[in-house]
Amino acid sequence: MYADAVQQVIDELGRLPGIGPRSAQRLAFHLLETDPTDVERLTAAIVEMRSRVRFCTRCSNISEDDLCTICADTRREGSVLCVVEEPRDVVAVERTAEFRGRYHVLGGSISPIDGVGPDQLRIRELLARLEPEAVAEVILATNPNIEGEATAMYLARLLEPLGVEVTKIASGLPVGGDLEYADELTLGRALEGRRRLGGD
Amino acid sequence: MPVRRISIVDFRNLVAVDLELAEGRIAVIGDNGQGKTNLMEALVWLTTASSFRGAPTEALVREGAEHAILRAEVESEGRTTLLEVELAAVGRNRMQVNRNRVSRVRDLLGHLVATVFGPDDLALVKGGPAGRRRYMDDLLIASHPRHHSLVTDLERILRQRNTLLRQAGGRMTREVEETLDVWDDKLAGIGEELGRARRDLVVLLRPELADILDVLGDGTRPATMEYESHWLDMGLGPALVEARRDDIRRGVTTVGPHRDDLCIGLGGMPSRTHASQGEQRSLALALRLGGHRVLAERLGVEPVIILDDVFSELDPGRAGRLVGLLPSTQVFVTAAGSLPEGIDVDRVIRIEAGSVASDSEAGA
Ligand SMILES: [Zn+2]
Repeated sequence: MYADAVQQVIDELGRLPGIGPRSAQRLAFHLLETDPTDVERLTAAIVEMRSRVRFCTRCSNISEDDLCTICADTRREGSVLCVVEEPRDVVAVERTAEFRGRYHVLGGSISPIDGVGPDQLRIRELLARLEPEAVAEVILATNPNIEGEATAMYLARLLEPLGVEVTKIASGLPVGGDLEYADELTLGRALEGRRRLGGD
Repeated sequence: MPVRRISIVDFRNLVAVDLELAEGRIAVIGDNGQGKTNLMEALVWLTTASSFRGAPTEALVREGAEHAILRAEVESEGRTTLLEVELAAVGRNRMQVNRNRVSRVRDLLGHLVATVFGPDDLALVKGGPAGRRRYMDDLLIASHPRHHSLVTDLERILRQRNTLLRQAGGRMTREVEETLDVWDDKLAGIGEELGRARRDLVVLLRPELADILDVLGDGTRPATMEYESHWLDMGLGPALVEARRDDIRRGVTTVGPHRDDLCIGLGGMPSRTHASQGEQRSLALALRLGGHRVLAERLGVEPVIILDDVFSELDPGRAGRLVGLLPSTQVFVTAAGSLPEGIDVDRVIRIEAGSVASDSEAGA
């Protein structure tokens, strides 16, 4: 339909999440009309990001070093871990400025439809952190949807027998939504009002 | 809760329709394929956030257009609510209530409620249990939008659980068991809430059904109505434990509200198999009208009624008795050609090729 080079860009953009064929086409033509130096800046930024950013060896948050800035920060409380699904959820919780502990990023939630079971998540890595880091409390901050709740329940059953206090961020978050879309105030309040699982 | 105004842009074959509406009976007439049912489908989309024909959103946007736009002004208790929906051929739909964006379907629901009689309603009686479960769930959602998440969550949990069971391939490993425990917990909580809500609904429907059949039927045998569930008394949690071995072997969830039924009997026999076509038709009408009465009672206001292509299948006697039973509320009646004798309407709107071809006060 279009020149091969254009079609190739449309195809590549169309693979990105949330970008349908029509948006991909619009973006490709926009890029064609953009000043070449702006396009170079964009491609250079993407390449730079991919070469510099990796995942924290401890919590799997995005990082430019072995340890992310949060794991490396000695002022953070090591005894409280907040478990989230994705690195973007770390950003959401950090925005609330309510949490002074550290994180553990699971890499998703239990969802058989997507081929994700407990073994595909970084649960073993979470368990391995408990003793060396003297973790006393784990806050489960998975997304308020079916899969997030199932994951939280699974973790609670796993962690409680190990003598760790397990809490879950309070409801009040929009059900069915994503953590990252919750505004700071709501998420902050949810974090403050967290509950022991099974206790309510 | 009459609709005071509806405007539709690029929905199916409707390019631009804008109608001011009053209470009373409104006939929407047009040959098949001209757009009369599309008009009703648009109205009903605003009540359920889905197509009553089960069509996907992209099928609802007019060919060549990017969006369809539905707008309705609904009057309730002296106030007007403005509902607006933008259906996207690609991407997300947008919904607004009184100009405020809503992101959840349940926030759109409840402002406009409609009882829809359709040409395929006979399947409620003659067809499989899925149609009757949907009938109950639609009523529950219309009577209380929070039931919407109950129904969609249940579907989602079942999909996850059934996928897990299939993946297990008949073998019960520790990992499968531990993950199943979690889904079962969720399923039990939501399933029991839905099962109890359906059972309570049937208690309310039962006397209405009898009352309506007294008038509508041909002096036929007494009807009975039961919510059939093999787990509700013992609780879904224990029932799932009991069924687990079977579920793993068969790779599917064998117990729960998705296996229940609404059993309608006539003279002590199942109406699905042991009733005449006429009796089944009366029962189907009685289910719709009974549901309407339960809703009206629950909401404290009469929902809008839509009779979509219903009269072509009814004999004049039963059609006349049905009209006699209709409460005084806004009623839309669609028909190809003309309405049968004896059905009085206040206004006749004729739809041709996706537009309003004529619009007149009846009898004027
Ligand atoms: Zn880290």
